[in-house]
Amino acid sequence: MTNIAMVEQLRLKFPGDDSLLFKDLSITIKKGEKVLLLGPSGCGKSTLLQTLSGLIPKSIEVPIKYRNIQYPESWGYVFQDPDSQFCMPYVDEELAFVLENLNVPRSEMPDRIEELLSAVGLRLDLYHSSIQSLSGGMKQRLALASVLALNPECLFLDEPTALIDEEGTKQIWESVKSVAKDKTVIIVEHKIDHILDFIDRVIVFSYDGVIIADDDVNTVFSFYRKQLQEYGIWYPGVWDDYLLSFESNAGHGYNHSLILENFKGYRKKEINVQLDKASALSGEWIAVVGDNGAGKSTLLLSLMQLLKTSGTYVLNGEIIQNIKQLQKEAYFVFQNPEYQFVTNSVYEEISYSLTVKKEEPSIIKERVDELLAIFGLSKKQNHHPYHLSIGQKRRLSVATAFVENPKLLLLDEPTFGQDSKNTFHLLELLERERQKGCIIIMVTHDSEIVKRFATRIWEIDNGKVVKDWKNEHVLHGKDQVAYEQYI
Amino acid sequence: MNNTFDFRETWLHKINPSLKLLTMIFLFILVIFIHNLNQMILFTIMTMILFVFFTGHPYKRILLFSIPFLFIFISTTTSMIFFGKGDTTILRWGLVHVTEESLFRGIHLGFRALTYALLGLTFALTTRPVYLFYSMMQQLKLNPKYSYSFMAGIRLMPIMIEEFQHIRSAQKVRGVRTGAGMNGLFHLFKFTSIPLLSQCIRRAFRIAVAMEAKRFDYSKERTFYYKIGFSKVDVVFVGYFVVLTGLSFYLAQEFPFFPVTDVRD
Repeated sequence: MTNIAMVEQLRLKFPGDDSLLFKDLSITIKKGEKVLLLGPSGCGKSTLLQTLSGLIPKSIEVPIKYRNIQYPESWGYVFQDPDSQFCMPYVDEELAFVLENLNVPRSEMPDRIEELLSAVGLRLDLYHSSIQSLSGGMKQRLALASVLALNPECLFLDEPTALIDEEGTKQIWESVKSVAKDKTVIIVEHKIDHILDFIDRVIVFSYDGVIIADDDVNTVFSFYRKQLQEYGIWYPGVWDDYLLSFESNAGHGYNHSLILENFKGYRKKEINVQLDKASALSGEWIAVVGDNGAGKSTLLLSLMQLLKTSGTYVLNGEIIQNIKQLQKEAYFVFQNPEYQFVTNSVYEEISYSLTVKKEEPSIIKERVDELLAIFGLSKKQNHHPYHLSIGQKRRLSVATAFVENPKLLLLDEPTFGQDSKNTFHLLELLERERQKGCIIIMVTHDSEIVKRFATRIWEIDNGKVVKDWKNEHVLHGKDQVAYEQYI
Repeated sequence: MNNTFDFRETWLHKINPSLKLLTMIFLFILVIFIHNLNQMILFTIMTMILFVFFTGHPYKRILLFSIPFLFIFISTTTSMIFFGKGDTTILRWGLVHVTEESLFRGIHLGFRALTYALLGLTFALTTRPVYLFYSMMQQLKLNPKYSYSFMAGIRLMPIMIEEFQHIRSAQKVRGVRTGAGMNGLFHLFKFTSIPLLSQCIRRAFRIAVAMEAKRFDYSKERTFYYKIGFSKVDVVFVGYFVVLTGLSFYLAQEFPFFPVTDVRD
């Protein structure tokens, strides 16, 4: 087989970094291979993908050095973020943009557009649909279609499903499999369940960008399990290897309670989500599940009083009517942690709410140091929050939630886009808080988390909580929270 | 511009966008040289007809958009009327000194401001940005580099608005209180602009890379998905202004309703 892409003795360093990201890395990809690149976050997998395609240094100016390099003659690149890879407002216009770049005559465009969309299985009533109205999974399939317009012999996929829910992920990989059979495909991905049967070569990188394994799927997953676990890769069976390492016990004398009756959340004066009757007690971890757009996030926003609500909402005996009452009681962790950062350092970020309340400096310091240690952020305490890694940002945003020991913690997909290591770490921290008596309500798409951590599940369908049941698979079986009596 | 809401397509939408833009710019300049009050009023009525009846938007929306311009009209008119210079006094009350000259000058200025608003709004309400840039690339030979950057930028705007709302909510949760008044506005700006901008710069950079990954190369020859040319409506549009401007000149000369031919005198 002939080579399609290769680089010999690559050296690459980002301006401002202390050390080289790659030191004399060599890699060769053969025509028709389906290659998966694995490694801890920050090891340079995406950078390598960009180098092999020529985006570095052509479009992204990073100084590189190599002895020899070969780019694929034609290639396409699908990026991670579905919201920042289109430049046109409508589906047909975006595809036409690529065709225009290739100088395709105007008369051939409509047919080509139809052909490309059906190739990736994107069925739309109208090709002139707004991209903004598509779901994440659909957007990524559109990205794939626009890349196919280039008729590439090599596809670079840079974590195309990292920001996509489970259903969308499945659809994206189905599309890839159907269009890329006879193409070379190079994939960077953390969630690999859906592609194992498609891949024929796995390359594993270490923290410092060195290749530690380069072999077929079975060999890598049998011999390098320990490394994969350490690097936070979602390999099959990762959950089974991960054991809860702490004792579980509920009830610490805290007894928080949440009572909801005929609770409704409104958006633009219309009822967007409703819950007839429910109550929760300390030590419960409620997973909110349901389809995209069913109203899961809306329920959380309503509970945080960020939307207009009606009905009975009682937290610890107090009737809640506005967000001010929730200031010390409840906390909401948003999907994008950056939105919640308001200061210039990690330390100030955690101390913010205490400083605002003019607590004693010694008390503040004690509390902040404690949290920095628990969340593994002590070394980073003087960094700007924006300079942290994705996992650290997420941990910091949860740390700010814990400062005041909230009685009710609302989380919107807190493990989204995180590697397995960060996910486990975060879940352990939440579990600890649950044991301390916090009521956790969390939106998640991850069925493993629901299965292993949630004590109770709320299923939302079409803006209504339709099911409320106790989780039977729950590992910490000792809790017998008697919430059933309320229903 | 009209990316998000529904409207009926009218002949104004079908005009070649570049031609429409150039005509508007020409009219903007022309209006500066109209000093005859009668003529100004007739000219305003003429643009108002287009705005009210032919933009294809529901009347409720048109009324809504008119509110700020009515405000501009009243504020420019009154400030000129009350505090302008002149010899023939009509009313004097403290600082307020209304003269015949300032009265006419004020009304004239108000109508001029209104005309600008009407022309601008008519253009914005009847032109899809994407068509405008396609037309500018085809008729005015605008470099694709700029047109596609602008179009990508326009796509970012609804995303930014959504993000702004998220940031506001997130900060309410953190207990950030911005308070009222100028001080509050400053705090709001301080707390939201940095996350918003950092996100935007990152997005813009990623879009740029994605565009190049899709082989966007502004120096190369390219085809166009939308072929934008000229049609009969273009003649109608230009004709409308030529005929009615002429008519307004004639009527202002022959049948003036104010005895003023030049407000500067």
